[in-house]
This record gives sequence, structure tokens and C-alpha cells, in this order.
Amino acid sequence: MSTHYDSIDELSQALLDASYLPDRGLATALFLSLELEKPLLLEGEAGVGKTEAAKALARAQGARLIRLQCYEGLDVAHAVYEWNYSRQLLHIRAAQEGAVSEEELFGPEFLIRRPLLEAIASEEPVVLLIDEIDRADDEFEAFLLEVLSDFQITIPEIGTIQAARKPAVVLTSNRTRELHDALKRRCLFHWIGHPALEREIEIVRLRVPGVPERLAAQAAAFVQGLRTLDLAKPPGVAETIDWAQALAALGRQELDAELVESTLGSVLKYHEDFETVRDAALARLVEEARAVAR
Amino acid sequence: MRDRAVVRHVVTFGRILREAGLEVGPQRLQDALNGLDRVELARRDDVYWTLRQTLVARVDDLAAFDSAFTAWFERAPVRPPMRAVEQPQPIRPSVAFGERPKDDGSAPDGELQSKGWSAEEVLRQKDFASLSPGELEQVKKLIARAGACRPERRSRRLRPHPRGRELDLRRLVRGSLSTGGDVIERSFRRRKTVPRKLVLLCDVSGSMEAYTRALLLFVHAVVGSGRGVEAFAFGTRLTRLTPELAERDPEKAVAAAARRVVDWTGGTRIGASLKAFNDEWGRRALTRGAVIVIASDGWERGEAALVGQEMARLARAAYAVVWVNPLKGSPEYQPLAGGMRAALPYVDRFLPGHNLASLEGLGEVLAGIERRHAA
Repeated sequence: MSTHYDSIDELSQALLDASYLPDRGLATALFLSLELEKPLLLEGEAGVGKTEAAKALARAQGARLIRLQCYEGLDVAHAVYEWNYSRQLLHIRAAQEGAVSEEELFGPEFLIRRPLLEAIASEEPVVLLIDEIDRADDEFEAFLLEVLSDFQITIPEIGTIQAARKPAVVLTSNRTRELHDALKRRCLFHWIGHPALEREIEIVRLRVPGVPERLAAQAAAFVQGLRTLDLAKPPGVAETIDWAQALAALGRQELDAELVESTLGSVLKYHEDFETVRDAALARLVEEARAVAR
Repeated sequence: MRDRAVVRHVVTFGRILREAGLEVGPQRLQDALNGLDRVELARRDDVYWTLRQTLVARVDDLAAFDSAFTAWFERAPVRPPMRAVEQPQPIRPSVAFGERPKDDGSAPDGELQSKGWSAEEVLRQKDFASLSPGELEQVKKLIARAGACRPERRSRRLRPHPRGRELDLRRLVRGSLSTGGDVIERSFRRRKTVPRKLVLLCDVSGSMEAYTRALLLFVHAVVGSGRGVEAFAFGTRLTRLTPELAERDPEKAVAAAARRVVDWTGGTRIGASLKAFNDEWGRRALTRGAVIVIASDGWERGEAALVGQEMARLARAAYAVVWVNPLKGSPEYQPLAGGMRAALPYVDRFLPGHNLASLEGLGEVLAGIERRHAA
């Protein structure tokens, strides 16, 4: 039996114990998803912690995380199941002539389980993460819709496999395209925005153990400042965490312009953004960040 | 036992949301009620999140939800639906589409006809700017046909094909059952082709006025050709037109698009519009691997340098960039306008778009576009 939570607060605490600091909105979303047994669709800018939320839920529940990374051209053979053809051929060869029946050949021992089947067929509690669903193409989305409405998968040679227990399902999307309304109707929807300053500082301190308090606050404040600029790719929380890790590894206690310039590469991933910040705003943002925590 | 007051509240709230343009079906209301059963109704936050997560499915609807929630929860008088209903505003008949005297410089038509050209061929070559409304009506159908071509890409999916390159193992194993594992007949699979993403950006500023309508009809036909097409208009700002142009009837669709665009026949800020496009849509990877079509005369009121910079960003992500410029239909045309000159280095195909023949040409280019061309 997977862990049951009586309240949103209880789930929040469990996530916190799993090193994830959810805001009230996300905690509510995850709570309702578990309670109503509906998949949760998480959308938001890159790097705000969509994927991490699913991982944290799995950790908190002590459940296995099964991840399906979507991409253009993803098909049933890679998402659901495939037959182990080389083993099948060997098996036919090894057996005496005519001794192999079709039922035998298309039995469970020759079946390769891919993430969706794995999640449906699992006896233990699992969290199924369907990552970047917007990258898969329409046909796959339609197929997924079927799986998510009935939690069953049909394999022509074997029959229908019904989930023993409905897995917790989290879908993430970067909104490269709108998803089908039908799929959305199956899901609860939560939009994750960038966190407020106080929360971002807390997240950094939680995720980078041993980071000096002042450094965490200044790094978070600096990144918040970056987000107000007109950048091609504003940094997400993931970047703040990476950066704080780098800064802490350098043994620094606080930010200065020189340090920022030499480490900014872990925050800004586009050369144009890097140049924009270095030439126009760096000194000012460092000053502002230092003013947050002296 | 569910509190009847809560049910009534949620149902009323659903109605308010529907008036604001959200799609709130019975299933969503049911989810909302089930959700509310499980959270503390005394906590405003929890009620807010529960309703938002069960009743809203799109980011674009969040603002409408928030104002409706504030109005409902705090019992403020409910505001009218978010999207103010604008006065239906017919497309302004431009000089170009207006009736013009028959004897006004129409010699070429007569000349061509006397040489035995078909009427369709004449229309095909005639500049959109000089079509009469009657002629435009005739051209409409042909434009729709020209716009039905889509660029394709090879999918990673395979399907059985006698001349495919990859072995179809599933069939092969099945086939070899009867032969004791000896493979007699080989089955092959091949990649199938699927439509490539296509994004069209149409300049609707004043200087393009004579062509906007014909180009939008073309865009409408492309949008109608299947999924994976996005359409935008720009003048001084960017407007997404895909939902408006998804309407089947071309007249209604173009009229809806014209109502939607606030800067119709206004000024042009190509650079700023492209930037807005890259920022909002490019970041969401809409442009990645897509064929981008920009229809504009390249007259930029803003800074040309910005046009170049944003075109560079666009070209890096896109599969191919096609620029359609109605002015290019004239033999004397040279791309000297600042915006056009700045954009050209990043354009793979530079085409005219002043008459039906050139739009048919565009359709063929789009259907056949395979790899990146040098400008």
C-alpha cells in the first residue's frame, strides 16, 4: 500500500523530508492527484522544478519512479512493450521442428516491458513520470489518453493487462504546443511559476547543504534580478541550485562582481544573454543582491 | 453528506467561468466538488488551488480564473467576461479591392485575352493589388488550393514497406514459425513521412494592405491543411491568429482575424514583433525544426539592427526560413529597405507573393522544402 496522506500539510512535510520544498499550490495539486486518482499535468518555464516534483513524490512515498521521456517519434515499441525478437528466433531454432507454438513464442518471457507497461503491471507502488509530453507527437498523445483513462494496456498476443493499483501519474509539459483538450480533461492542471525570493532562498539552502546563509540569499536575489531582465532564456530554480553549488564549492562567503562573472556560465546558457548581463547589468545586480543579505 | 451550499457555489462559479470563456464541463465540476471534499474549506488558499487545478486547463485562462475567483470569493460584483466583445468590424475595403473603372489601365488584360490565354491564367498573373472584388472572389478558391501543400519530414516511426531498409522483426519472427526458425521471407519497414511544423507570420501593416487579404486567405488554407500549423499577424505588435483562422469558412475566418488584430493597417515594427515571437514562442521550441514563412515587405519603422538580430535567432532554431515579399513581384525591386536588407542573410528562400502564380510557387516550395538552402 502506498503511503496515504490525510492532509495537504502531511504531504508537504513528507516532501520536505524528501528534500523538496513545495509551495501550497503544488502540494495541493499533488494531494488532489493522489486523492482523486487523476493524473497531474504540470506546466511551467524550463527549470522551475516540474520533473523534480515527481521525483520528490516518489521519494516521499517510497515508491519506484518510472520515467518515460517523450520525444518526437516516440512509439509503442519504446513506450509500452516490445517483443524480444532475437530470443524468439533462438528459441525457435533450439526447439525441435514444429515444437514451438505461437502462444509459447508470444508469452511473457519474451516480452520486454517499457515504462508504461511496467507502471501498469507493477505490483509495488510506483510514480509514473511522463516527461515533456509536448514533445511526443499527436498519435502518441491519443494512445496515452487511452492508457490514462482505463489504466489498462492491450497486447494482441497476450490480452489486456489491468493495473492492479492505479499508479500516481505526473505529466510535464514545456508548452511547445497545446495538448489535446481530451488529454487535459483527464488531468488536474497546475502551472508552476518562478518562486518568490524567500522561497528560492529556502530551496537553495535545502538543496545545497552547507551553503553559507548569506551566499544562498545573495545568489537567489541575483537570479531573481536576472529574471527581470530581457533574456532569451531566464534562469530557473535548477540553475540557481547549480550555481549555488558551484559557489559553495569555491568556498566563497558572498558574491562579488568578479566571482559572478567567472561563474555566470552555470546560470545563463545562451551566449547573448551572458554578454547582455556582463555588459549592462552585472554590477548593479550584484549590488542589489548584496543589499539583500549583508 | 455534501453541503448543498457548496454545490450551488461551485455550479454558479462554473457558470461565471464559462461566461469568461473557459471550457468547464460537468466532469470538471465533479472533480472540483470531489477535491473540495478533501481540503479545508476554511482555508482560502486551498479552495483557490483546488478550484484552479480542477477547473482550468490552460495557462492563458489563469488570469480570467483569478478575476472570477476574486469576484466570487470576495463577493464583489462579477465583472463581465474577460475578452471584451469588440464591435464586429468589417475589413475596410481598401482602394485596391474597391471597384475601379473598367477603362483604367486594363489594357494588359485585354491583350492577354486576345492572345487566347485562359481567364484563369490571366488571374493567376495579375497583381493582387489590382484585382477587382469579383476577380478576388474567383481567385479565392485557387488560393485555397495553393495553400493546401505542407512541408514534410521523415518520422522516426516505421511502417511495413516492400522497399524499406529496416527489417520488420515482428513479422519476420511470425513468418519463421512455420519454418523452424529459418527466415525465408524478409519483411521490411520504412520510415513514414509526416507533416513538418509550419509557422506563418503575416505583416498586416498599412504598407501591406493591398496584399494582406489574399495572404491571409492563403494562410487560412494552410492552417486548414492539418495540425502543426501556427499563424501570427504582426504590425506594431504580434497577434496569434491560429484559433481565428481555424474556422472553416474563409470569409468568416479572415473577418475574425481582422477583428482580433488591433494594429491592422497600422505601422510596422518587424524587429520588435519578431522579438516578441522568439521570446514567447521560440522559447517554447515552436520554431525548432519548423519551416517559418514570413510575409512582409520589409518596411521597418524601428531599428533594422534588431531585425537582423532576431532573424538570426529565428534561423538558428528553424529548419528553413522563407520570406515572401509582394514587392519582389516587380522586376525593378531591390531589397534596399533597411529591415529587408538586415533580414536577407538569414533567409533560405526569398519569394514574391504578389499574385496567385507566386502563391502557387510558394506552395510548391513549401511542399518540397527538404533541407536548408543557401540564401
